[in-house]
Amino acid sequence: MPISFLLMVNKQGQTRLSSYYEWISMVERSALESEIIRKCLSRSELQCSFVEYRGYKVVYRRYASLFFIVGSRLSKDGNDNPENELGLLEFIHNLVETMDKWAGSICELDIMYQLEQVHFLLDEMVMNGHIVETNKMNVLRPLDLMERESQKAESMYR
Amino acid sequence: MSLKLRDLIRKVRACKTAAEERAVIAKESAMIRTAIREEQEHYRHRNVAKLLFMHMLGYPTHFGQLECLKLIASPHFPEKRIGYLGMMLLLSEEADVLMLSTNSLKNDLNSKNKFIAGLSLCTIGNLATPDMSRDLAPEVDKHLKAGMPYLRKKANLAMARCLTKCPDMVEDFVDRVVTLLKDKNHGVLITVVQLMTQVLMIDLKNAEEEGENPFDTDCRKAFLRLVPMLVKMLRNLLGSGYSPEYEVAGISDPFLQVQLLTLLRLLGAKNEKASEEMNDVLAQVATNTDSSKNAGNAILYECVQTVMGIESEDGLRVLAVNILGRFLLNRDNNIRYVALNTLSRCIVEQQQTDDGSIPTDSANTASAALQKHRNTVVDCLKDPDISIRQRALELIYYMVNQENVESLASELLNYLVLCPREHRRDICTRIFRVVEKFSPDDRWRVDTLITMLTIAGREASRDVQSATIIYISRSPPDIHAYATHKLVKAIRDDDGTQRGLLVVGIWCIGEFGDLILNPYTYTPMARSDDPPNSVPVSITFEALDCVSVVKAIQAVVERHSCPLFIKERALTSFAKLSDRFSDKGDANALEMIQKLIKKHDMSHSLELQLRACEYDSLINACKGIKTSISKPSGEEDLFGVTGGADNGSVSASVIQAAKEALSRMPVVDLKVLQKKQSDTFGSSPMTRNADVVNNPAGDGGGDLLDLNDMFGTPAPTQNGSSGTGAPKSDMDLLTDIFAAQPAPAAASSAAGGGGYDPFSAPVPQSNSVPAGPANPLDIFGAAPAMPAAAPTLQASNPLDVFGAPPAISQPASSSDMNDLFGSTPASTGSAQTMNPAVNSGPQSVVVPAFNHEGLTIEFECLKPEVWNKQNSVLIAKCKNAAPDALYGFNLQCAVPKYIIMEMEPPSSTTVPVTGANNSTIVTQKVKVTNTRLGEKNLVLKLKVSFTLQGKKVEHMATCSGFPSGDY
Repeated sequence: MPISFLLMVNKQGQTRLSSYYEWISMVERSALESEIIRKCLSRSELQCSFVEYRGYKVVYRRYASLFFIVGSRLSKDGNDNPENELGLLEFIHNLVETMDKWAGSICELDIMYQLEQVHFLLDEMVMNGHIVETNKMNVLRPLDLMERESQKAESMYR
Repeated sequence: MSLKLRDLIRKVRACKTAAEERAVIAKESAMIRTAIREEQEHYRHRNVAKLLFMHMLGYPTHFGQLECLKLIASPHFPEKRIGYLGMMLLLSEEADVLMLSTNSLKNDLNSKNKFIAGLSLCTIGNLATPDMSRDLAPEVDKHLKAGMPYLRKKANLAMARCLTKCPDMVEDFVDRVVTLLKDKNHGVLITVVQLMTQVLMIDLKNAEEEGENPFDTDCRKAFLRLVPMLVKMLRNLLGSGYSPEYEVAGISDPFLQVQLLTLLRLLGAKNEKASEEMNDVLAQVATNTDSSKNAGNAILYECVQTVMGIESEDGLRVLAVNILGRFLLNRDNNIRYVALNTLSRCIVEQQQTDDGSIPTDSANTASAALQKHRNTVVDCLKDPDISIRQRALELIYYMVNQENVESLASELLNYLVLCPREHRRDICTRIFRVVEKFSPDDRWRVDTLITMLTIAGREASRDVQSATIIYISRSPPDIHAYATHKLVKAIRDDDGTQRGLLVVGIWCIGEFGDLILNPYTYTPMARSDDPPNSVPVSITFEALDCVSVVKAIQAVVERHSCPLFIKERALTSFAKLSDRFSDKGDANALEMIQKLIKKHDMSHSLELQLRACEYDSLINACKGIKTSISKPSGEEDLFGVTGGADNGSVSASVIQAAKEALSRMPVVDLKVLQKKQSDTFGSSPMTRNADVVNNPAGDGGGDLLDLNDMFGTPAPTQNGSSGTGAPKSDMDLLTDIFAAQPAPAAASSAAGGGGYDPFSAPVPQSNSVPAGPANPLDIFGAAPAMPAAAPTLQASNPLDVFGAPPAISQPASSSDMNDLFGSTPASTGSAQTMNPAVNSGPQSVVVPAFNHEGLTIEFECLKPEVWNKQNSVLIAKCKNAAPDALYGFNLQCAVPKYIIMEMEPPSSTTVPVTGANNSTIVTQKVKVTNTRLGEKNLVLKLKVSFTLQGKKVEHMATCSGFPSGDY
């Protein structure tokens, strides 16, 4: 089962980035986000990084004040083809490392003020819930080139 | 002019309250809408970027959807880029505007700029609808062949999306993957492997829908030919230094390895040949992967799943289980979590496959290997992380067998002490199941169950409580004494909160109270695992005297917190103790018992009061004294009327009967227990049985568990139908006094019909003896004729005789009592009878039944008993409109099985011509009991024969006009 959603939420429960790979209505999204973050916050460092929630296997990892949360749908009978939880955990780490390399040292504000840029980065790594690329250079090089391409035309939205 | 994105974000961040934030967003939305309306092209992509931010915060952004489409049509790259991003985030797959983008997507796919083509592919991969997939698949396919890896990897996943949306395109596509698999770029490889996985899943679904063998499709066959190639790829990855740029913690491309293993699992499932081909490489992965880092563990975890999912060799399976064993020992909770999860999945799957059949050696390997890691799993029960503990618990249930039950059960009991309250009930049920299934001997079973109740008697479900009672009562007398000694001790130590323990304990003390008057010593046999020289420790219980036994229960009852149902049980227990202690020569104790019982005869609880009076009479009857009850003067002396004895003593047969009522019960038939368990526990071990417990003693069986049955044995002559009632009635007595659980369970089985059903037989009894709970007089040898006098007797029901305040009408209280005597309908009924107004006018309905050759029959339907709606009396009124009288009139009725019928003879077999004033009608009384009232209606089939003017007439008719729901 591919990734269903990817969230970056801070300790106050404010969503800093959300990307859904299956359509969930807006109302449900905000409910889901706030409930998941509450669950994650209530768990201690000692507890494992996996939570099952409303038919999703949620894998989360905390970096400083930011939670990176990945949800993957459990199959109906809960038996076959579960997503590899440890793999997802590793992927989160890979994503964070990539972002770190991209922004020097990534922090919550970087994500906030460069929302669309982070989305571009994510699109290079995940597509429709599947992993596209895990090598940092292969992700960042095209991003850089595209950015240059954009610079040619005057950037207006900053 | 609207704000810049950066300013908007800053402004939102500065908001202190949610209302402030809403105001800012509302203002900005309005600005953006104005901009959209005015076609401010210059600000378009800035506005969409702002919408993305607002969307993330959860505000509506639908008005911006068309803007995205306008942006993607723009020739400028930055606009295109933000437009596509907006599309992917703001639009749902169902959005109608999506089809408008098809053309732009197609143009961009053909763009010379690889980034533009990449954006288009990415959007297709995330959003494509079935229509779009069909239109764009050829263009996507071009990119699969194109030279640029950047586009090829995206095209792979875009194609995967298209195929998911249009499963019928799968077949045309299979050949393409061969070349893709030869690619050097890892991005392409990981995507193509995921593409193949998707294709296989689609193919599986297609085949299932078309009814083909899903493991024998063309697509799968084609992919199976690629297995050696995949195996080679995986092997290459294992050699270090193969792909340094994809290395994570010294492991080359763990993501690709995981995906490869997933694909291999799909291909190897149910395929011997493919499984054999991948056997070696799986072994290599399992042995060579470095497990010190998470990345390596992810691979090992996937590898284990693959080994379990394919037709792998036994050795490999053992290897896999050992990896999981290593995982269990890991300090990282994540790893332990997946290990426990995977282990229980393996076991469940295995149990499903050898369900019922004899497990083969290979299937057994996983669980046999698992047993080796038993201690590790048990240790996980002590983990601080609750999710780990829960998983471990799940697993332990599956691991229990004859050999390890003793140690695992004690671990479960330990866990029961630690675990949160809300889980205890469930765990108790599971411990019970384990004990029931694997227990080596009676003593151990009783021991474990009592310990469990001592820990979690409060939470244990009623099923568990009553099943414990059944198991104790089924064990040999030696164990009876042992269990009761133990329970007395436990009850004395308890603070009154472990109610389940009290229920079981009080029952056992009542039942086996005489056994604990002797000391008890038990020396356990030396176990094989004990040190050879150790002296076995014997367990000794000192003898108790009668008074201290009674005091143990008294202490429980006299606590303020003692709930009613415990008091009810205690009362029954006292009554039984009076019999057990009667020959012990301890007059003090007996007197104390009787005092304790009498204490309740003024109780506010109707049930307690009633029972207290009854038991008091019963005990007196045993002693041969007729109960003298203070009653208001002028009240009819019911004992005089119905008991037939007025000289202050009772006959020997009554004494005998009363003693029997209190004597020890016969052993429960195991079938009852099994039936009960199949009802309550369900077949699946995971079934939660919470909802079964409160199953009310509803239809049919409910009112059978009343006093009639309880005292059925000593009063076999209470009505005509006791021929069937008598042999069964000790079972009823049993279930009755059993109180807690058998009642609802059995009641539901009675409703279900069929199977072993001790309750169906006595139905006729309660039919003809209406005053169920108000009929304790039967035990004193009540005249069988009494029920016939129904209407008058009901009015003066025995509750009044016992001096009950006439105005207590509290049907609500009956809910508390129903489990003691299992008779909700009955006790409510007695409360109702106290209100004479209810009883005053039985409503009657007239139903036309029959009309033939001048003879008309109507049924006048009466409900003789207010509290038992099932019973009705039909009075057939025959009117003759024929020219001459009818002779030899004979009315026969047939009813469906769920109705019980009793007919009286007609008032005459000759029906004269009916006059104008209905003077000469013939009547015949039919009593019916609809045991499934509310579900089914009363239906009668009538056969009438008579002779009219020398001619014999026979006619059949069906009468079903009774008001539905009432009859």
